[in-house]
Amino acid sequence: MNITKTHVKPLFKNSGYISGLFFLLTLLFSTPSFGQTADDANNFAQCKACHTIGGGKLVGPDLKGITERRDEAWLIKFIQNSQALVASGDETAVKVFNENYKIPMPSHKLSDDQVKGILKYIAAGGKLPTGAEPAKTTAKKSEVSTTQQISEAERFITEKRESSHKLAIFAIISGILVVIILIDLIFTHILKAKWIHYILLLSSLWIIGEWSWDVSTDFGRQQNYQPDQPIWFSHKVHAGQNQIDCEYCHFTAETSMHAGIPPASVCMNCHSQVKEGKRTGKKEIDKIYAALKNNKPIEWVKVDNLPDFVYFNHEQHVKVGKLECTECHGDVEQMDQIAQVNTLSMGWCLDCHRTHKVQFTENNFYGAYKKLHEDLKAGKIDQVNVKMIGGEDCAKCHY
Amino acid sequence: MKNKTIFFILSLLMVAISSCNRDKNNPGYAYMADYDMYFSKYDKAYDASTILPNGQVNQPAPEGAVARKSSYYPYHPKGVVERMTDQVKAGKELDNPLKATKENIAEGKRQFEIFCSDCHGFDAKGNGHLYKEKLFPAKPSDLTGSHVQEMPDGSIFFVITEGSASGLMGPHGTQVTPENRWKIVDYLRSIVK
Repeated sequence: MNITKTHVKPLFKNSGYISGLFFLLTLLFSTPSFGQTADDANNFAQCKACHTIGGGKLVGPDLKGITERRDEAWLIKFIQNSQALVASGDETAVKVFNENYKIPMPSHKLSDDQVKGILKYIAAGGKLPTGAEPAKTTAKKSEVSTTQQISEAERFITEKRESSHKLAIFAIISGILVVIILIDLIFTHILKAKWIHYILLLSSLWIIGEWSWDVSTDFGRQQNYQPDQPIWFSHKVHAGQNQIDCEYCHFTAETSMHAGIPPASVCMNCHSQVKEGKRTGKKEIDKIYAALKNNKPIEWVKVDNLPDFVYFNHEQHVKVGKLECTECHGDVEQMDQIAQVNTLSMGWCLDCHRTHKVQFTENNFYGAYKKLHEDLKAGKIDQVNVKMIGGEDCAKCHY
Repeated sequence: MKNKTIFFILSLLMVAISSCNRDKNNPGYAYMADYDMYFSKYDKAYDASTILPNGQVNQPAPEGAVARKSSYYPYHPKGVVERMTDQVKAGKELDNPLKATKENIAEGKRQFEIFCSDCHGFDAKGNGHLYKEKLFPAKPSDLTGSHVQEMPDGSIFFVITEGSASGLMGPHGTQVTPENRWKIVDYLRSIVK
């Protein structure tokens, strides 16, 4: 309500009489119930933390019919600064304060008009007139269209998977070709020119070689592994659009060997209120509630696997090494389903251990390396690699 | 005869191609994976267990256990009323063991940005992006306002651990370590000063 008012006033002063009248007329006819705007609903959002309208008592009392129970002027005073009213010894204020476990209602910086708007919103039962929020729904639709696009990172992974699949098919075809050529070369002699045999033989052997290289380097590694999870959880939505920090959910990354899979109770920090997803509706979020209700953990599928003869510690890399999560896990905030982006091979580990600069100074962990500190100060070396502090030793990771 | 051999070769080809299909759900193969030490038989973290009573390798700490380097935390409220009375009690009983040094405040700021800023905003004024983009329905409280700043340290610590009295803010006790919770308290005090 206050917004419409402030808009009207300058218009009357600056522009002509007719335009002012025109504006008033449009205002009168465009909004069906004057005074109830989406603004009031936004202002009420801060009340929602402790109050409901007809939903029972939360921290504060239920506000249904509050405008009939109390005087409007008293309500304005109480909402703006309840503690001042209690301190002044107002009877109803003290009574309300005592009834609600003496938890003070925080004071709100709202103008009289804003409070009146909120009271009207409460009197209407917490519903906006139908014409008040068309802008919101259109915004939602456009968001949906952006989320459904396949991101660059995801396309890259599927392409890689498909290309290795194609290579396998080519290899089989060329394998059959090799057999046919050999038969022709030794027994049947249909083709007279022998150089065609040799060229075909060499090129198909090349393809087979390429394929066997692809298969053998993939052996024991899981690059581009992108398993379906029990809940269709999207990192693109949570880490990308909602900008939630990785460590909000994977909170043991700094204190433990494992980055940690969040328990369902962590989901409830938001999903106690957010009960519907934009893309999957209630279907997927209901699985969290079911897991909590049945006290049955959600069985997520582990994506990035290392063989058991390798020791890897998240604390060492995240807390001490101060690496970003994305350096090993790829662009997680672009992936709906998480895939293993890097090979996680020993060569890949050592590559980083040989070249990566360690944040050596201002890091309590490396205080014991006195000689390196001296060399660094004297200027004998310009940086410390992981290699210099034992990052290449076998027994650092294999024991 | 000729048809039969062609059919045989084609079917062999089909089998060969389908077996080479690299499914996204297939982690691939490893040499002697199940017998060698590649994936050995011991139970790993988060595995399901056939022996342990709750069917998981990860076991909850026994009741009343106190972690190393931390002190006993006495409050386990159930329901809104207990949570509110405990919040007041915690304000009287719990003291901040950490001094508001520069390092503590810097670390508190970092922790705040990980765990709190999504809702309460980077400036702690209650305008986090989750609320601003209408993803979370209720307005988070202004942590620089008098309501929070007038609380004793213990009460703020309690709210981080057990969630707000209204239940709209969930308990963050599992996520933030006690030490870091005190650091966040120190940081919140330092913004206003």
